[in-house]
Amino acid sequence: MSGARNLWDNRLRADFRAALAVVALLAFVPLFVSSPYWLGVLIVSIYFALLSLGWNLLAGFTGQFSLAPAAFAMLGAYATGLLNYHLKAPLAIGIPAAIAGTALLGWLLGRIVLRLKGPYLALTTLSFAEIARVIIGNSYEFTRGDQGLNVPTLMQSRVGYYYLFLAVLLATLVALYFLMRARAGRFWLAIRDDATGAESRGIDVVRYKTLAFALSCAICGLAGSLYGTFSQLVSPELGLLLQTGLVISMVVIGGIGTLTGPVIGALLVYLSSEWLRSVGNIQLIVFSIVVIVFARFMRTGLWGLTR
Amino acid sequence: MLALDLFVNGLIFGLFYALMAVGLAMIFGVLKVVNFAHGEFYMVGAYTYVLCAMKLGVPPWVALPLAAVAGAALGWVVERLLMRPLYAGYSSWSIMKDEYAVVVTFGLSLLLVNLVDKIVGPYPYRGPSLIETSRFALGPVMLNGQKLIAAAISIGLLAGLAIFIKRSLWGRQIQAVAQNRLGASLAGIDATRTTSLIFAISGLLAALAGALLAPLINPSPDVGAFPAIKSYVIVVLGGMGSIWGAMIAALLLGVLESFFAVYVSYDYRDAFGLLILILVLIFRPQGLIGEKGREV
Repeated sequence: MSGARNLWDNRLRADFRAALAVVALLAFVPLFVSSPYWLGVLIVSIYFALLSLGWNLLAGFTGQFSLAPAAFAMLGAYATGLLNYHLKAPLAIGIPAAIAGTALLGWLLGRIVLRLKGPYLALTTLSFAEIARVIIGNSYEFTRGDQGLNVPTLMQSRVGYYYLFLAVLLATLVALYFLMRARAGRFWLAIRDDATGAESRGIDVVRYKTLAFALSCAICGLAGSLYGTFSQLVSPELGLLLQTGLVISMVVIGGIGTLTGPVIGALLVYLSSEWLRSVGNIQLIVFSIVVIVFARFMRTGLWGLTR
Repeated sequence: MLALDLFVNGLIFGLFYALMAVGLAMIFGVLKVVNFAHGEFYMVGAYTYVLCAMKLGVPPWVALPLAAVAGAALGWVVERLLMRPLYAGYSSWSIMKDEYAVVVTFGLSLLLVNLVDKIVGPYPYRGPSLIETSRFALGPVMLNGQKLIAAAISIGLLAGLAIFIKRSLWGRQIQAVAQNRLGASLAGIDATRTTSLIFAISGLLAALAGALLAPLINPSPDVGAFPAIKSYVIVVLGGMGSIWGAMIAALLLGVLESFFAVYVSYDYRDAFGLLILILVLIFRPQGLIGEKGREV
């Protein structure tokens, strides 16, 4: 028993160290990259790394395969945008409100889908995501629909934004590491591996499943909110199903159920997609093939190859 | 008499939905997974029909069966290459089975949409009609020839499928494998071949739906997204895996949507079906006419 426990502890620690190493490497990047374009690309890839970590908490650690991460990013971005547009709320209120709002919505959705699993869960979260997008896209008076909303920015400097995103990524990784080491993380893994077994050993499955939902959605909401202030425009396109598809691909390619996997997956996929775009707009074709091949033949992803 | 017009047109759309949803229901019935690339079977059918008719000069009545063949071939290949791990002796995969299916079919959907976008181009095509007529009024109901013929073919296909499943040997094998895969193989049924057959049939039906609708919808690479989402709603509404449930639910959704779009809100008509999906999954996960006691 304690042997297995140590094995997981060691694995998690090695995983966390590798993730920290990736973040440390990223911290030096602005010394060499000064082009605002490539800094922007890196910022967006860190945004996707946050979404991937959020989705991985649900799908990889808790075994709840949601199809709504991009929708929660969109909701977070709109929470900040709408508060500013209608109430002139400053970002110091708007961003925390986005986190709280998406956490609450995620908690509610988690309660609703509590008894659903597998394909049923996928379909329900997919419907939730599409409904949210259709409503935001069609409420012209309230959200300006497909035109999108303008959002004020936190700062003008790209390098500043880069370090802000990197700091948030670091904070998320640290928080996830300590959660996964603590009781909550072990309970999540137990629920993922065998929900009935976990319940029979006295784990409050309802509570921990909804907690995972709320946390995961809050991470996505925060990422979306920050992304909105960075691009200074939020639109329903943030919540497209394609974006969710990208997040899933990143996690599957990087390695599901790990901390490093989603981060390197997001960086690799997004950076190479920028490169493939210049080669001839074939990025989505390449990814979908890579994702299928990984899912079919290398189920542990890139990070899993290192073990 | 607007109501009658809405009813008939809703029913016709329900028939097209049924062609899509029945295949999805059959796949779910046998493998217990949702095929997220189902809309792309539809898209491939629409494109095969349009491109054969326009680029190769094949007459529409020949292009239609060609689209069916393309859909069946695609379904078969997908099953052969990607679905085997779900049942063929990969015991350690059982934990992440649902997740594998979602990732792979999602990836496949992305792949097919972007391949077509790259090869054929992102612009919508307008397919040739099977029959050239302008819109005409049948009493209070506005119709056009293509819609009527497509509806007639759909009725024929659905009836044919119903007889095939109920009466033929292969159809009964499909029922047996859906009920109990292990039991069916013990009784000497080749469950692997049956699964291939199911994917071929569902690919064929979805492709035919796409081909029949091609003159009405102007196919573009992402044209499969909405019919796919409709079929998820229908399959849930009819009870996941139930073929008869899917047929009835498809007609019901077609009519309901047609009324909803006019009397409630046109903009939100697509959200309406999804709301039904969520409500059914929460309150009646066995579907409107499904049996009780299915594990969710």
